[in-house]
Amino acid sequence: MKNKKIETWGIFLLLTMFTLLTIYPAIRIISVSLRTDNAFQTKSLAFLERGEAFKDENGNGVWDQGEPFEDNNHNGRRDAGSGFKSYIELFTKTDFLRWAWNSFFVTFMVTLTGVVLASTSGYALSRFQFRGKQLTMLSLLTTQMFPATMLLLPFFILLSKLGLINSYLGLIIIYSSTALPFCIWQMKGYYDTIPASLEESARLDGCSQFGAFYRIILPLSSPALVITALFSFMASWNEYVVANIILQDPDLYTLPLGLKSFQASLSTQWGLYSAGAVIVSIPVTILFISLAKYLVSGLTMGSVKG
Amino acid sequence: MKPGLRILAFLFLLIAAFTTIGKAKTRIHIWHQMLYENRKALREMCDRYEAEHPDIEISLLYRETEELRSNYQSSAMGGSGPELIYGPSDQVGPFSTMGIIKPLDDVFEPEFFKGFVDNAVVRYKGKIWMIGDVMGNHLMLLYNKKLVKSPPENTDQMIRIGQALTKDLNGDGKIDQYGLVWNFTEPFFFVPWVGGFGSWLITDDGRPNLNTQAMVNAFTFIKSLRDDYKIIPRESDYEIANAMFKTGAAGMIINGDWSLGDYEGVVDFGITRIPKVSATGLWPTPMVSTKGYSINVNVTGELLDKCADLIRYLTSDEVQYYYASKLNMQPSSIAALKSPVVTENEELRESAKSIEVGRPMPVQPEMRAIWDALRTQYQAVLGGDKTPEEAARLSQLNAEKQIRDMNDILKPGPSVIFIKWIFPLLLVILLGFYRKQIVLFFRDFRQQKFAYYMLLPAVIGIFSVVIFPFLYNILLSLSNFSLRTFQNWQIVGFQHYWEVVTEARFYGILLKTIIWTVVNIVFHVTLGVLLAVLINRTLPAKKTLRTLLIIPWALPQYITALTWRGMFNQEYGSINLILTKFFHLTPIQWLSQPFEAFSACIITNIWLGFPFMMVIALGGLQSIPQELYEAARVDGASRFQQFRKITLPMLKPVMIPAIVLGIVWTFNNINVVWLVSNAGEPSDQTHILVSYVYKAAFNLYRYGYGAALSMVIFLILLVFGIFFMKKTKATGTVL
Repeated sequence: MKNKKIETWGIFLLLTMFTLLTIYPAIRIISVSLRTDNAFQTKSLAFLERGEAFKDENGNGVWDQGEPFEDNNHNGRRDAGSGFKSYIELFTKTDFLRWAWNSFFVTFMVTLTGVVLASTSGYALSRFQFRGKQLTMLSLLTTQMFPATMLLLPFFILLSKLGLINSYLGLIIIYSSTALPFCIWQMKGYYDTIPASLEESARLDGCSQFGAFYRIILPLSSPALVITALFSFMASWNEYVVANIILQDPDLYTLPLGLKSFQASLSTQWGLYSAGAVIVSIPVTILFISLAKYLVSGLTMGSVKG
Repeated sequence: MKPGLRILAFLFLLIAAFTTIGKAKTRIHIWHQMLYENRKALREMCDRYEAEHPDIEISLLYRETEELRSNYQSSAMGGSGPELIYGPSDQVGPFSTMGIIKPLDDVFEPEFFKGFVDNAVVRYKGKIWMIGDVMGNHLMLLYNKKLVKSPPENTDQMIRIGQALTKDLNGDGKIDQYGLVWNFTEPFFFVPWVGGFGSWLITDDGRPNLNTQAMVNAFTFIKSLRDDYKIIPRESDYEIANAMFKTGAAGMIINGDWSLGDYEGVVDFGITRIPKVSATGLWPTPMVSTKGYSINVNVTGELLDKCADLIRYLTSDEVQYYYASKLNMQPSSIAALKSPVVTENEELRESAKSIEVGRPMPVQPEMRAIWDALRTQYQAVLGGDKTPEEAARLSQLNAEKQIRDMNDILKPGPSVIFIKWIFPLLLVILLGFYRKQIVLFFRDFRQQKFAYYMLLPAVIGIFSVVIFPFLYNILLSLSNFSLRTFQNWQIVGFQHYWEVVTEARFYGILLKTIIWTVVNIVFHVTLGVLLAVLINRTLPAKKTLRTLLIIPWALPQYITALTWRGMFNQEYGSINLILTKFFHLTPIQWLSQPFEAFSACIITNIWLGFPFMMVIALGGLQSIPQELYEAARVDGASRFQQFRKITLPMLKPVMIPAIVLGIVWTFNNINVVWLVSNAGEPSDQTHILVSYVYKAAFNLYRYGYGAALSMVIFLILLVFGIFFMKKTKATGTVL
């Protein structure tokens, strides 16, 4: 037993170190978002910066060019210190909340479509032998093979002919269809691990074909459904390139478009940009935490004897 | 009428009513690329205009410069797009060549143009295409007044001041403060020196002029600043330079007028010209350009008059005064330049001195090719791969070749007949051949209705989205679609394909892409599975660790990739700081050597990709019945044996889709390479196939070639996919 304890703690230490390495870049982004001087890079490893006092000669509350200041670290400038300035500006002076709402709407629709369609099509591909099955599997894969950047021009032409520029419908259709191939493949892969005997017995008990799928197989597939949901969510939540060509009205902007508007070549609002990025990652994390318990259920109830 | 129809009719009327109300106001769209602060000023000016003209509504849309261009190109080509487009003068060359903006000669009377300084009226091929509201965008020398008492006037002084400032403040053997920093690896930030050494990179009639002694001297000069006088850091991009100047880690910076607002209230700085080159006695010549408005070619009639009136207002003295006083922008109107608002503004006065010695930004579309050729060779000099002489010669050669490629209009070849007749014929024969299969499919459909109903909605949805772009791309790849044929391209045959497969470079990049894909996937999968297995057991703080580990996936890629780029900086990046501090290694030049830069991209992508595989593996692990392990333990199987005989095979069906698609995605992942290596730096040696396609298609406007190359990528992946399907069918993933 003692051995086991040592092993657990060993693994724990190892994982903790790896995790620290993993989140280091994220910590850098948080640190940039807390800076008040709009600089992206820094030469120190420090997370926060101490502010330096200054003499406010004209009483306007900010340090102006030429006003004397204490230079504690002798770097020739007044260190403004870290603070929540960017976060406050993000919520009060930009349309961040509107972008967030737009993004939530689009992402919710895409996730819903993804889960519904992937769970049914994956099931068909896993359980039935029919003509065109291999071809379907392959062509689903092929849709992912074309370099997306070259598809943008034809996408634009197609959507403007259909009048879907500046519409969420166009965006939702494209997002769903880019996320679905993986989701279908992945659902199929998971269904393959569930023994077919389960449905057979259900069918014998008088369950319909759809009922056997819906009542027996679907609840057992929650880990795969979680992955499908997470993946569809991510496919639209952080997507920029397609949104960039479809949405040309600032009122319709989704979060990535909004955040990118803080970026200009050679002049980026780094504080706002990184503060936005930090906030954008929160819903993903929350979603993962809340879905994680379903990731660890499924077949663990021991209902299956393989 | 049925109730449903009635509701529909009502809705229709409602929509019609709204559109007529909407029509009462004319909406003018302006797409621009203004900096954050300037956007607010523009909005304010537009609000004023709207107040005076209640029938006009102005809608503003910001896009980053390059995206603005490509978005505008596609919209204008499709017959739509904004009425007005605002941007730097060098977009005039390509836009007018493509025929997507209107000449302004007929829209305004000649007197109107006389009110502006010459450079603000942008001419190309004898016509006026753009009217500027600001001048500038030029580079200057900014200095930290606390560190530099009097600014240098020539390069000898600059080197002396620089050497005095470059020092190790805390005695750790690392330099903490530099004399001078700037984004010196980027050609735009380098070319003033070419002028300072006595020549220019383009001749008056628009031909490249790169193989000159001045170019060689300028290359040598920058290299000596870095290697001999050591007053600039070894690696520095725009953001690093910016941050160093802001934090007082550099005494001087060469930066543009756009950056002044950003330094205000952060550094106590002064402005001066880039110092005179001591060897020649000439001032370096920063490029000066205007930014201004052009009119979409699709705008006509009454709307055109309204747009013209709006342009008159937006370039008027009233607006220019406002920009000058609020944003310190150099006006373009002759009257505004004489007003006290401008002449009494110290910053504007100093910056005007740099404009005096500057040269106008060339507007020819050929500039793209010149920039590109120069960037590649210049970075090769900095990386030590080429001598300045060789680089100057090669940049001229490459620029000429790229210009030829760019301006080349392919003529239809003999293969067009093949495409026009034999293709459809082949299709018919194939259909005939597979007729039986199709009939069988429909028979099967009736029998297996359930399966098909479950499957079809998704499949139809996916393919209706994908099929048109795909066919369109095939068409493009066989066409001569490029800068010169933007509005009237035609099918020319297989020339582009031939060009792709006969180019030696293609195979080098293909090999690199394969290495990129294999290394990434191996790390993604091993790390992902390993972490999932480790974290799936009883552990303290298990949930927290699991959540923290998905953070690379949760953060938006476009910012994490840039963060990694910063972390790879040679002197200030955290990675080298850690390597030198804790492991006592010599710092690695991550971003300026081809191999290291490519490794940097791979490391970043591994970090980005493993959480996804971990989540998939975590899901997969749940499908393994615990009884199997119990039975194995009873049989005395070791932990490793259990992992190999139970965990791995049982994970396989779940992991395989993720791995296959992971391979395809990684193969085509442009973001990381583009952002971390800053579009292929150094010297275009970090490209994988997709980033190369992107560069060919959008940088040099060679859409036909880009489409052919992406078809080749597609075919490579298709072969892989078919091979893979055969393989998995043999091993039987279907229960």
